[in-house]
Amino acid sequence: MVKEIERAGIPVVHICTVTPISLTVGANRIVPAIAIPHPLGNPALTAEEEKNIRRKILETALQALSTEVTDQTVFEVKY
Amino acid sequence: MKLELGYIHIHDIQLAAASKVENGVLYVDAEAVKKLVLEDEQIASVEVEVAHPGESVRITPVKDVIEPRVKVEGPGGMFPGVISKVDTVGSGKTHVLKGAAVVTTGKIVGFQEGIIDMSGVGAQYTPFSKTNNLVLVVQPVEGLKQHDHEHAVRMAGLKTAVYLGELARSLTPDETETFETLPLKESMDKYPELPRVGYVQMLQSQGLLHDTYVYGVDAKRIIPTVIYPTEVMDGAIISGNCVSACDKNPTYVHQNNPIVHDLFAQHGKTINFAAMVITNENVYLADKERSSNWSSKLCEFLGLDAVIISEEGFGNPDTDLIMNCRKITEKGIKTVIVTDEYAGRDGSSQSLADAHSSADALVTGGNANQVITLPKMDKVIGTEDYVGIIAGGWDQNKHEDGTIDVEIQAITGATSEVGFNYLSAR
Repeated sequence: MVKEIERAGIPVVHICTVTPISLTVGANRIVPAIAIPHPLGNPALTAEEEKNIRRKILETALQALSTEVTDQTVFEVKY
Repeated sequence: MKLELGYIHIHDIQLAAASKVENGVLYVDAEAVKKLVLEDEQIASVEVEVAHPGESVRITPVKDVIEPRVKVEGPGGMFPGVISKVDTVGSGKTHVLKGAAVVTTGKIVGFQEGIIDMSGVGAQYTPFSKTNNLVLVVQPVEGLKQHDHEHAVRMAGLKTAVYLGELARSLTPDETETFETLPLKESMDKYPELPRVGYVQMLQSQGLLHDTYVYGVDAKRIIPTVIYPTEVMDGAIISGNCVSACDKNPTYVHQNNPIVHDLFAQHGKTINFAAMVITNENVYLADKERSSNWSSKLCEFLGLDAVIISEEGFGNPDTDLIMNCRKITEKGIKTVIVTDEYAGRDGSSQSLADAHSSADALVTGGNANQVITLPKMDKVIGTEDYVGIIAGGWDQNKHEDGTIDVEIQAITGATSEVGFNYLSAR
């Protein structure tokens, strides 16, 4: 899906846990998620803490979307 | 560490007034088994059934399969850290009721439990159509949570296998086999000319009912470590998995891991089967990185020349498999990976979720998406109510004439990633 949307000329950021697979399949902008069963959350945290990490992941993703890349790039989230 | 396995061949199981083994027949007092299982207050009821090879019988939804064994010499007991105390097992003598198995079924726990057909086309895909099976149909008390339900059924199976194994304690085995792994230095001194081959076994540990236990420890909480292969023969690793039936390792398969047995068969001849390493398949990327770093570090530290790596399950564990393969190869060690495939029903899709050029030697257990039609059976142990929702089934896959279409994903052990199956290219 990532590649097809990009083929249509729209930049895509792939938020995913297993970034090596994302690299293998050819995504260009990648943001690491938390874990496979809960990519954008963490049940071990409080609701407030969860909201905070979710915001950071999303902000990193938005930053990635507006960044020019020449090669496959993983944008690490700064927690 | 040296272990002698004494096989008592079982060619029949019968329900009887008293439990005993006589002339290759395992007689089981069903009331005694029920009493044992019902000690657990989380279990509302249990039925004890027998399924023989060749019968028109289907067992579903299957949770685990266990081989009855008993330790007769040496420290510890079966399933250490779970049923027995946590002594180190794997040495001395163990008796095995070869040809018998305990199978657990009953109300579904998750959505990924299996089918065992004792005859017909389905029987050709599961290794447990060839064993005489004592089947426990376990029903939980009302409102029991999934994890507690899985635990209760798991313990029922293990306890029953231990009860049956005890019957073999004072018997004389029909056949014996000895397995020995020497400590590192002795092994190097004894076989200086032979290539040092290791086995890295990946254990399913994704959580959410996809769990394996090592001496009672949840495998997602281990870091990769070294284990003597004979420890595993004594039940050091058990399955707590409700993952796709075709490629999980039931406890029986851990007890009888073909990769371990085949490596032992060549040990001292063409290779030195030097070490076994166990690692996990967790759902955090950091865990995947840490565990594969660690498994490769151990292989290097053990001075291995070549390594066989087996996966359990599919999907994101494909990444653990490739990470292990790549990182071990980067240490200058030759690798062969053992996996299965989800290549679509026509077999033309990508087989694994991940890939790397270092994975250039691969053994496959088969394509789990292959569709077969199971015939109607005269008797169903458990229930067919779930054949449409288990992994490998789909809505309306059961027809009016009683036949059922399934991907072989739903058949217990069909595409085993340690080779405990029948699929072959030949």
